[in-house]
Amino acid sequence: MNQLVAPARSLDKSTTPGALFSTLSIPIAILVLVVIGSVASPSFLTVNNLTNVLNANSAVGLIALGMTFVMVSGGLADLSVPANVAMGALVTLGAQESMGTGLAALMGLLVASMGGVVNGILIGYLRINPIIATLGTGSVLLGLSQLLVGGGIVYAQPSALSTFVKSSILGIPVFIWIFIFVALILHPLLARTSFGRWSLAVGGNYQAAQASAVPVRFTKAAAFAMTGFLAGLCGVLLALSNGQARPIIGTGYEFVAITAVVIGGTSVFGGNGSVLRTVGGVLITALIGNLIILLGFPSQATGLITGAIVLGAVGIDAYFRRKAGRL
Amino acid sequence: MKNFDFALLGARAVQYRLVIMLVAVAVFGGLSLDDFLTVNTLQSVLDRATVVGFLALGLTPVLIAGQIDLSIGSMMSMAGITTIFMQPVIGNVPAAAAGVAVGILIGAVNALMVVVFKINSLVATLATLLIFASLALLLTNSYPLSSEDPIFGLPLTADFLWILTPRSAIFLIAAVLMFVWLKLTPTGRNLYAVGSDASAATSSGINANGYIAASFVLSGFFAGLAGMMQSLSTAAGSPVAGAVMLIPAITAVVIGGTRLEGGRGSSLATLGGVLALGALTTALEYNGVPSYTQAIYTGLLLILLISLDRIVSGHGGASSRAQRSVRVAPRNTPLPRRNA
Repeated sequence: MNQLVAPARSLDKSTTPGALFSTLSIPIAILVLVVIGSVASPSFLTVNNLTNVLNANSAVGLIALGMTFVMVSGGLADLSVPANVAMGALVTLGAQESMGTGLAALMGLLVASMGGVVNGILIGYLRINPIIATLGTGSVLLGLSQLLVGGGIVYAQPSALSTFVKSSILGIPVFIWIFIFVALILHPLLARTSFGRWSLAVGGNYQAAQASAVPVRFTKAAAFAMTGFLAGLCGVLLALSNGQARPIIGTGYEFVAITAVVIGGTSVFGGNGSVLRTVGGVLITALIGNLIILLGFPSQATGLITGAIVLGAVGIDAYFRRKAGRL
Repeated sequence: MKNFDFALLGARAVQYRLVIMLVAVAVFGGLSLDDFLTVNTLQSVLDRATVVGFLALGLTPVLIAGQIDLSIGSMMSMAGITTIFMQPVIGNVPAAAAGVAVGILIGAVNALMVVVFKINSLVATLATLLIFASLALLLTNSYPLSSEDPIFGLPLTADFLWILTPRSAIFLIAAVLMFVWLKLTPTGRNLYAVGSDASAATSSGINANGYIAASFVLSGFFAGLAGMMQSLSTAAGSPVAGAVMLIPAITAVVIGGTRLEGGRGSSLATLGGVLALGALTTALEYNGVPSYTQAIYTGLLLILLISLDRIVSGHGGASSRAQRSVRVAPRNTPLPRRNA
């Protein structure tokens, strides 16, 4: 029954202008940004700058990878991301003293994953609207994380793990390695496994997927559990490398992640998308953020420019889809 | 038999949730605080609920039309800083109007993106959320503006009529007017048809795009109103005033019973949701509960109500929506094309 979905997707890859646009747009956008950057500032196209840019965006990039599954499977978006990031970070640093850094980090991951599982049960099994469900769980979890630390700030103790997280292997920071590693696992998971095809099928047509014996509830729930885990991982990594954590540590990350996924071209309606595209989206948002600073714009302009690009990219995409008669 | 009773109990609990909540808050507040059950408290609850209330009221038609507007907070911030900035330039009342106009303008941008450029409203309003939150910070250089005429806005929160302040009176009137519009006029009923099934509504001669666009403009208007009133009554225009308002506003609307799936909801239900949430927040605050713990209660309440609603109603939501669109659509229309 999964084959029913596959041919439909390969048909989409025909040479309509829309398909061409969506295939080429990401590499072209990255190229354009790199050209603008190297013209604008001599310090842009240096190994140091590019490594820093990627390093700074890897943590939130992890969340975008998870959010891809959420959107592909028709789960709209996970708005509880900041809460799960905070949980991961605060539990890790809070439990560090009593149980050691390694165990504390695992604990942080576990708690954040639990948050994701709760989202999954509410959305996948109870079929509550994802926006409401994750607003609710986000509110509860963020409150709990603040309760945990009395609304204040927690400091890390020096540990081997945090030294490792801040270090580089072969000249590339560990953050980037982790991002590459997770992307290398998740891309084939979505593109080549049954679970990936289930996700696409559930997002494409829920009833049809259900009728074809796809475990629709599990598939949708798993996407949210995964995003919870990755948000937790982001929190743990940030806490260990920053040496401190506050409950607001992940504020706005849900929007950054959604933006990266959407710029990558994954449909918000569900049913199509790829992890590789999201990686492209993360690169584009990272480069935009860097260019804004290098070109001397105030950093507050980031949201303005990112938002305008989202509108532009999605608007053009919607236009081509309509032209191809698929909307 | 026992199972059935439980289901019935659940259904009743969902049906009368607002009454139950308000009574529970009154009992809890009355027991835990000496002078909670007073006219003063009621006035304060109403007055403080007004800002979230305007946002929630604006969100209601958008949700009924089956769309969502995440940018209400950013619109509110923009309206607030516009009002305060324009005060010395064009005078107090025109500045207030300018603030509301900015809300309407951004609402029109949302409408343009959703209706003309066919961008999913979640993405479109997420983008305008980012754009206008960022613009508000840029325009003010991240510092709140303080009003040149701080006295002007004070009467908005002054004593007015028994339990009312001027701004809460405006809020109540707006909620009732919207109720009349939604339930008693053809255009209001058409909005429900659009939210139930846009293509069916279009087949029966309703300009679905027009209704969706209007709902976004209306949401902008109310967000502008919220921003204008908030900035005038605090005599400051903060670029982040609206950033924390989105979640309480959506929570209030959903507690009231308006569905995100479209085709269901009412402004009086939203009013109830706003009051229940406002009363709960006030009671907790008077008890010295920190705001982050309040967020836990609010979030749990939201999840509990929505889960209960889902468990009790089962798949009833879909069928009643279908029935409603049948009732609204004239007979002898061609069979609507689904999934257009």
